[in-house]
Amino acid sequence: MALDAQDDRSDDTLLALYGQGDRVAARALADRLAPIAVRVARRMLADPAEAEDVAQEAMLRLWRAAPGWQAGTAKVSTWLYRVVANLCTDRLRRRRPVPLDAAPEPEDGRPGAEAGLIAADRAAALDAALMTLPERQREAVVLRHLEGLTNPEIAEIMGIGVEAVESLTARGKRGLTQALAGRREELGYGDD
Amino acid sequence: MAMTDPDRDDEFLEGFFRAARDARPEPSEALMARILADAEAEMPRAPEPMPVTRPAGGGAGTLSWIAAAVGGWRGIGGLATATVAGLWLGYAGGADAGFLSGGIWPADEAAATVELMPGAEVFALATGWEG
Repeated sequence: MALDAQDDRSDDTLLALYGQGDRVAARALADRLAPIAVRVARRMLADPAEAEDVAQEAMLRLWRAAPGWQAGTAKVSTWLYRVVANLCTDRLRRRRPVPLDAAPEPEDGRPGAEAGLIAADRAAALDAALMTLPERQREAVVLRHLEGLTNPEIAEIMGIGVEAVESLTARGKRGLTQALAGRREELGYGDD
Repeated sequence: MAMTDPDRDDEFLEGFFRAARDARPEPSEALMARILADAEAEMPRAPEPMPVTRPAGGGAGTLSWIAAAVGGWRGIGGLATATVAGLWLGYAGGADAGFLSGGIWPADEAAATVELMPGAEVFALATGWEG
């Protein structure tokens, strides 16, 4: 069991304790925040190894920010989301353009595909579809629908207004619907 | 098939979102180890200990203060060694200073004779001492 499951102290408190040399607080923060960083980076980059590098870099920046952290000025998790998103953006810009049809596709043609994909296949299909979206739309959709953040939180993370978040999310969802439409029946969403 | 009903589209997508939320990727053990190693390396250090101050009382506290003043117990050890060596040199040197030459100067040469108290004779004459 992760330590943070037993620890109801706030991120702010844990970060302050880490700043005073508390290793237990560091472990609790890592258990609590590293999964967030990995999830978002994986969905932004579609590359597990690169996502882990981003997560490590984001957590490193958090450790370094600890001594000067002003409690109450920003949520630690919001700060981390923003750092992860920025690191992903940097990496995506350094990448050479990838043709849309090079985006990873879920395995197909297996016996299970005919009877309807299992949840893992749907998750994989969504990951592939996310990679067809423009970067900002993808970020907004991931934060809203996979991380469950509110629009104001996303607006703060992305440095834009709430209306812009709503616009990005709506366009992102339309894009996903189109990207997945061709597999609608295959994925168990027949015309009923 | 065209999908123009937003509600149905949302329902359609929600199935994928739910599956993706349930299939959350987790950090590998190797990544957690790297992150914790970074945390250890970047952890702010505790402030340096305060300078040693002499306690008000005596006893073991005073001894510790003296030890700290000369560089800790290793310093005390060095100091004791130097003291004993000095005492021994003083005693043995008076008996036979030739050992100091370590064989470099033959003992039978005049140069090997070390007069530790050049004024001893004058002192003896002045005080009437005859050894």
